[in-house]
Amino acid sequence: MSTETATREYRWVMPRGWWTRRANYFWYIVREFTSLPLAVWLLWFLVEVQRAQSGPKGYVPHSSTAFVIFSVICLGFALYHSITFLSLAGVILHFKVLDRPIPSRLVVLSQFGAWAAISAVIAFVLIYFAR
Amino acid sequence: MNEHSTKKRPAFDHLFFWFMFAQGGVIAALLIPVHILVQGILGPLGIVPVVDRHYDTWISILGNPLVKLYILVLIAFPFFHFAHRLRYLLVDLGVPAAKSLPAQAVFYGGAVVISLITIWLLLTTAPLSL
Amino acid sequence: MAAKRITIQATRFDPDKDEKPRLQSYDVPFADESMVVLDALNYIKGHVDGSLSYRWSCRMGICGSCGMMVDGVPKLTCNAFLRDYWPKPITVQPLNNFPIIRDLIIDMDDFMEKLKSIKPWIIRKQELPLGAGEHRQFTPQIDEFRQFSQCINCMLCYAACPVYGLNDGFLGPAAIALARRYNLDSRDEGLKQRLPMLAEAEGVWECSFVGECSVVCPKGVDPAKAIQQTKLDTTMRFVLPYGNRD
Repeated sequence: MSTETATREYRWVMPRGWWTRRANYFWYIVREFTSLPLAVWLLWFLVEVQRAQSGPKGYVPHSSTAFVIFSVICLGFALYHSITFLSLAGVILHFKVLDRPIPSRLVVLSQFGAWAAISAVIAFVLIYFAR
Repeated sequence: MNEHSTKKRPAFDHLFFWFMFAQGGVIAALLIPVHILVQGILGPLGIVPVVDRHYDTWISILGNPLVKLYILVLIAFPFFHFAHRLRYLLVDLGVPAAKSLPAQAVFYGGAVVISLITIWLLLTTAPLSL
Repeated sequence: MAAKRITIQATRFDPDKDEKPRLQSYDVPFADESMVVLDALNYIKGHVDGSLSYRWSCRMGICGSCGMMVDGVPKLTCNAFLRDYWPKPITVQPLNNFPIIRDLIIDMDDFMEKLKSIKPWIIRKQELPLGAGEHRQFTPQIDEFRQFSQCINCMLCYAACPVYGLNDGFLGPAAIALARRYNLDSRDEGLKQRLPMLAEAEGVWECSFVGECSVVCPKGVDPAKAIQQTKLDTTMRFVLPYGNRD
């Protein structure tokens, strides 16, 4: 962009720790980071499926304290992902009914409603069929 | 700066990966927390009975074709979401190489591989039962 | 009672002498409560150091010239009141993410090129003769894009955008918001001409929805929303059957 003849400009260089300089940037990076613990937890879920191959004798469910602590941490990240993603999706989705735009607060509320309903159904299945 | 705008073309690869990212994000947001709560915390602590605490109940529910389909959705879409986010996170943290084609192949390819492993696990773990 | 004073630390950079920008402190009388950072800069230029360079014009949040980093946050300096910072010193720096020409002045060529590239004017497939009259528009049709048309090109959103800071090839918040303003205009038929710019790799897809562009906008424009909605609309155009028709 700059040539020899042009006046010298001082070029911008993004500082490495830019995301530590403002709270909003930091929480954005946390939001993006949630994918890592969630991915690890889902891999554990796959292992849980795989372990069912070992037959009735070899099947011992995970119960260690470490695993519960790991899950609690993952749940924190999962909730942060859910809350941010469903709230932000309300900004993006734009519906109209009878030519009138639906307020985004209503869209967000209905998403949280769907989240609650779906969670209740899954929890019911996981618990009810345990007997 | 940029050449004239006629040279620009819609990037269909980005379009597709963003679509998968958005789908996976919604599915992860709606489905994952309750699994972690019930299977990762309440079950191991013995607060409620949970299907995966006993072999019999776990293998029987895994045999249900609807459950198999559900688990595939639970894994495959979110992993495309994770792949996309982690790739952009690396860019944000100062690794522009995460934008390259090889990096895309590794991240999205990884999501494909995990989806294939999931299909294989679901087909081999429990016999179909209705 | 002794008159109140406030310390302004302003970036100085002389391209002929300085290797890199440095901060210089100025002691400024904080004479009345309505003083803004721009008033302090004008005081310095008028009474302390005439060589301090910066852009400004209207002093009333309309022209979009006086955007700078005030204590690390992109702001219109005519809208940043000293009373909100006093008695702490205020750091005034040129907008982040742009090359610095001198002192507080950034090079905005890249931004101007990007604005032009999305063709921010009404495009018609067939221009009607003047005698055919005006293109009528109803209030609800204006409401579709009104918010996006408030942009004053102050570049605060570019200074707030880490994606642009990491890669200045990114089309950026204001340009995409303006493109959406025209794409949503009922009189406009230029979507297909703008789509290649918007939907290419360094168009909307580069954005990872940090959202800070919308936070810092002094005019209440929501560029982050414009970008995400463009992503969704573009995707739907190609995903839905017949979505790609005009």
